[in-house]
Amino acid sequence: MNSRATSPTFVRFLVAHYRDFLLYGLLLGAVAWFIASGEQGTGYHWKWYRMPRYLIQFTEDGWVLGPLLQGLIVTFKISGLSLILAMIFGLTTAIFRLSDSFTARLVAKGYVEFIRNTPLLTQIFFIYYVIGPVFGLDAFGSAVLALSLFEGAYASEIFRAGIVSIHKGQWEAAYSLGLSRQDTYRRVIIPQALRRILPPLAGVGVTLIKDSSLASTIAIYELTQRGNIVSSDTFMVFEVWFTVAAIYLAITFPLSLLVAEMGKRMRTAD
Amino acid sequence: MSAAEKIISIHNASKFFGSLKALYNVSLDIHTGEKVVIIGPSGSGKSTLLRSINRLETIDQGTITVDGKNIDAPGSDINALRMEMGMVFQSFNLFPHKTVLENLTMAPIKLKKIPRGQAEEQAMALLKKVGIEEKSGVYPVQLSGGQKQRVAIARALAMSPKIMLFDEPTSALDPEMIGEVLDVMVTLAKEGMTMAVVTHEMGFAREVADRIVFMDQGEILEIGTPEHFFERPEHPRLKKFLSQIL
Ligand SMILES: Nc1ncnc2c1ncn2[C@@H]1O[C@H](COP(=O)(O)OP(=O)(O)O)[C@@H](O)[C@H]1O
Ligand SMILES: [Mg+2]
Repeated sequence: MNSRATSPTFVRFLVAHYRDFLLYGLLLGAVAWFIASGEQGTGYHWKWYRMPRYLIQFTEDGWVLGPLLQGLIVTFKISGLSLILAMIFGLTTAIFRLSDSFTARLVAKGYVEFIRNTPLLTQIFFIYYVIGPVFGLDAFGSAVLALSLFEGAYASEIFRAGIVSIHKGQWEAAYSLGLSRQDTYRRVIIPQALRRILPPLAGVGVTLIKDSSLASTIAIYELTQRGNIVSSDTFMVFEVWFTVAAIYLAITFPLSLLVAEMGKRMRTAD
Repeated sequence: MSAAEKIISIHNASKFFGSLKALYNVSLDIHTGEKVVIIGPSGSGKSTLLRSINRLETIDQGTITVDGKNIDAPGSDINALRMEMGMVFQSFNLFPHKTVLENLTMAPIKLKKIPRGQAEEQAMALLKKVGIEEKSGVYPVQLSGGQKQRVAIARALAMSPKIMLFDEPTSALDPEMIGEVLDVMVTLAKEGMTMAVVTHEMGFAREVADRIVFMDQGEILEIGTPEHFFERPEHPRLKKFLSQIL
């Protein structure tokens, strides 16, 4: 699409939504006024000019990441590893819950119910202080395990819904060719289910990035923990937390948009 | 015919859904090369009978042997037995995430360890046979009903089965597409394939069947040649059924 084709639609869009834009402007103004009056009321002095060095800095060694971006890398590592593990836990649990074995169903159900009915923070502490020492898990490992178990339980519900949404004729066709249950899952059911559940699964990724901030409670130097340290070292509380929130938003918001877009496409594809 | 030629032997098979007798004391042998057409009103147990043969349904009483092997015996390899029996469903059940060619090659490559190139060659030959080779690269969603069912037949044939089971293969089709599917089935019959076909297409039954089986309320009420069925039907319920559909 070129701009000549889009611009009239854009103008029409502006005209149709001018009230929305007015409201939006007013809202932004109100927020700005609130922040500005807060500054005067508390005598807070903005020092935004001091923020960049906490993101990235130029030293004699060249460009060096500041503490916040270093924290972001740890956040990515935790979230990425947890996402992979959560998918494995989730899929395995879903298959257990749909199996013919009573024991497998019981184990899976017990896991999901336990995870869903206790707070994530408690689970993190439990794994770090109770399970971690027994199995020699460090803080990072504990955080990854806790987060992936937690998100895995939710992912299992998504997987299960995806699997049962596949018509039973697909099972029968695969079985009638001689495929085993395992091969049928792998070659016929899961590839189809995955397409349908990709949007909510990507949503799990977004949740993971946000929930990984709880790893700060067991002394992991991820983004939130770094923000904590920088803000108490510098007293630039507002600047630091605005920045940290903006970093999270910059990552999760595009992801969420992607999820929504995928969801729309899936619906029209069906 | 001698016992050695029996490829399928169903002996006193019963299947219950709660108190409903989906199959009741059904016995039927199918011989190599034979074409058996199963007819009967809706809900009479035709699908259940066919699906019991490849154990998509498990029977509650009786025995079913395929190629001399009891399919319910402990330790029987049902997947290996199913490889010898192709099945065609009313609703096609093609794999929508695979192309037409992949629908045909997946099972042979996976289960028979046939090299991909060779499997694709065989698949193309089968697609040609069902008259749809130009669609090998498309996904099932782009096919008409008749084309889908022809692909489904080719998919089952790709495993080189000893017998083909058809469960109302033309019932979900628009009338103008029934012929193209029946033509493929007639060709297959003429080539000597062993076939068990549930259908309401009496023309097909008359032309192809060696024997016709009439079922009602889970029981086989009459078995006979097409001449017998259409000239001298005996059971009153068969007479009534024929008068309704002919
Ligand atoms: N999974 C099932 N659960 C309960 N009842 C079933 C099931 N499958 C079939 N039936 C019943 O068994 C009877 C025979 O069904 P079916 O073999 O599908 O008949 P047909 O193919 O001759 O129309 C019908 O009354 C049907 O409602
Ligand atoms: Mg039926």
